[in-house]
Amino acid sequence: MKALAAFWLRFLTLAAFVMTAGFVFVRGQSPGIKVVDLIPASLSGETNQDSEPFLAVQAVNPQIMVASAFTPNPFSASGNAPVYISEDGGNSWLLSAITPVQRMTCDITHAMPTGENHPRGDLHAGTLACAASITLDESESNDVSASAIMNVQSTRTNVDQPFVRALGISNSDHIYVGLNDFNQLNGHTATVDVSVDGGATYKSVPIEARKTAGQDGPSVRPAVAGDNTVYAAFFGWRKFNGTVATSDVVVVRDDAGAIGPLPFQALKDPSDKLPGRLVVKSVSIPWSNAPTLGQERIGSTLSIAVDPNNSSTVYVGWADHGSKGDIYTLHVRRSTDRGVTWSKSDLPHTTIRSATNIALAVANNGAVGLLYQQLSGGRWVTHVVQSRDAFATIQDVVLANVPANAPAEQFLPYLGDYDYLLAVGNEFRGVFCANNTPDLANFPQGVTYQRAANFSTKTLTDGSGNPVAISIDPFYFSVPVKP
Amino acid sequence: MNTSKFFLAGILCVNLLGVVALPQATGNQAALVKQSSIVFAGTVSQLGATSFAGVPKSAQTVVVRVDSVLKKPSAVSLKKGDNVTVELKDPSAFQQGTQATFYTEGWIFGSGVAVKELGHEFRCGTGEAAKPAGADEKAYQQAQERISDQELQDRLNAADFVVIGRVTDVHRWNAPKSAATRVSEHDPDWHEAVVEVQSVLKGGQVKGNKVVVRFPGRNDVAWVHSPKFEKNQQGIFCLNRDQATGVPTEKVAGRQVAVYTCLGHGDSLPMSDAPRVRALLKN
Repeated sequence: MKALAAFWLRFLTLAAFVMTAGFVFVRGQSPGIKVVDLIPASLSGETNQDSEPFLAVQAVNPQIMVASAFTPNPFSASGNAPVYISEDGGNSWLLSAITPVQRMTCDITHAMPTGENHPRGDLHAGTLACAASITLDESESNDVSASAIMNVQSTRTNVDQPFVRALGISNSDHIYVGLNDFNQLNGHTATVDVSVDGGATYKSVPIEARKTAGQDGPSVRPAVAGDNTVYAAFFGWRKFNGTVATSDVVVVRDDAGAIGPLPFQALKDPSDKLPGRLVVKSVSIPWSNAPTLGQERIGSTLSIAVDPNNSSTVYVGWADHGSKGDIYTLHVRRSTDRGVTWSKSDLPHTTIRSATNIALAVANNGAVGLLYQQLSGGRWVTHVVQSRDAFATIQDVVLANVPANAPAEQFLPYLGDYDYLLAVGNEFRGVFCANNTPDLANFPQGVTYQRAANFSTKTLTDGSGNPVAISIDPFYFSVPVKP
Repeated sequence: MNTSKFFLAGILCVNLLGVVALPQATGNQAALVKQSSIVFAGTVSQLGATSFAGVPKSAQTVVVRVDSVLKKPSAVSLKKGDNVTVELKDPSAFQQGTQATFYTEGWIFGSGVAVKELGHEFRCGTGEAAKPAGADEKAYQQAQERISDQELQDRLNAADFVVIGRVTDVHRWNAPKSAATRVSEHDPDWHEAVVEVQSVLKGGQVKGNKVVVRFPGRNDVAWVHSPKFEKNQQGIFCLNRDQATGVPTEKVAGRQVAVYTCLGHGDSLPMSDAPRVRALLKN
């Protein structure tokens, strides 16, 4: 009798737990597609605007991943800013305060090359710390699971939007940090910090060769192929009137890891023979550091991706004013001759209105992936599109379709000035941010919440049954590469 | 429990109390609570173990079952009955079944909570009636109140000026052409507040009884925690000489005056905090 009573007690307890917590339970997940809210169960009470996500995957052991967002240290205003770490291929995530920045970064990107053979590390990060001045730290962790604070290898002020890519080579990782460096002369601010010794030393390489409007745009994006070809894309701002930048979309290339005396000068534009191919000239890019596209700001969204097995094929995507009254339109172009010539117009299906946060990646089989977030019918819709034929035919998967008017913005960026997409084996993996209401209708491919959530009542709880307000959460996803 | 076990437990408890330096003084306890982000009473259930995957296991880590939670951030899910991984300073002082109050800081947050010990107090849970949780919580609430004062004291100490005043004007600050201008999403969009000083609580006299305070008008992530001023706002303001904008002086009523900034979270306080601020500044 006692055993029976104990059984029912355990059963009812488990049932109550499942009904109220709802975490770590897969909700209607589509076959092969994984969408996971990164907020851990033990932070179920959080209501932060965890925007601007990024992702790094350990190439040798892709079970190990690091993600980031504008997530503050959950327990201390003076503690270190955290990152999310997964050791099981993204099924579960924990938060560990290992960045060198106090409380919360105001920009962070990272990469995990594997040349130095650290099974759970070689995480290289570029972070901005926000105080009276904005400070860049370029830092490294050899073991992200050890929970030690990352080692700062280089630091300086007066820069913006570090964007880290890397390539593992022997025992010295090659690291490329695109950034807008206001310390550069003559307004040639588009810069790539290059390290060929695992971050021990960095050399700042200005990649702008033309006259600017006093500076270039914030986004400077490197892309590295396995054969040591390094591309970088940037917005060459030619005019700026406070609300609109007249900009070229420029791509530079280096064929030897950018370690020579004149790096990033392999591509010259036929119009002026200067380094940097002008993919498009004089596009109009609105600059609005206020809620403009829904509750999001706009002004600098840019992505570049190179085929890992054929560095001649490279894609670039950006947003500009568009046409027919649209304020922000995405475009994607392609080169198949190492950036010498580019498609004259947008690739099919890639002129996308009212959208931002473009991220491109190319898989081993040549499939190209395109992640973006579109404001449509008062909702933020997150798409991942892929194609084997340069977007002539596409597979479009909607990962999230959430209300755009809630929650209210806590700060800008609302979702992020970027999100991210990577190709890992036969998967596209990435991160995006969205309203975290536990409503299965918002996640057409299904979703897994680690934090306490009740999908029946569509409410979050703090783990003790108390309701928690909705907020912006970072979401990890994996989508099979189109064969 | 038989008599011998009861007796042994009593001896163990007395011995532990004897060998461990207890934070008995109120000041020490307040200092520990101040340092700690998470304080809880619990019972050690496993040695050299962790309570969830992803936490580095070592001889210093133990699993503790939570008996009561005394302090935690609201974002953190932690309740009676949860298992917490604690990285101890000195694991030799602990055994399975040891009951203690743990003063900790957060470490790793996953399916559970992992913390690092800052200090502890052993509790006699065996052979001695447990202290009512409510009594503990009241004591810790009092301690936390004192800590708020301490944190405020630190901010007051760091300020060049502390004034009570009223904002008479707010306007965008246009940097002179000589100043470097950069377009960035983190552009603070500096604004100026003119504060009519009603009394100076810290710092020298203010000529003309007005000071210019620069603050970021932008709601960018870099400045989200900085105070934003509004016209007719009255309060207590912790000010520092401007080292952020690159133009630390300004001409006001024909004379060059120093400009101040008010950037930190909590540097702008409501008038209701005036008695506390005055009292703390007297210390």
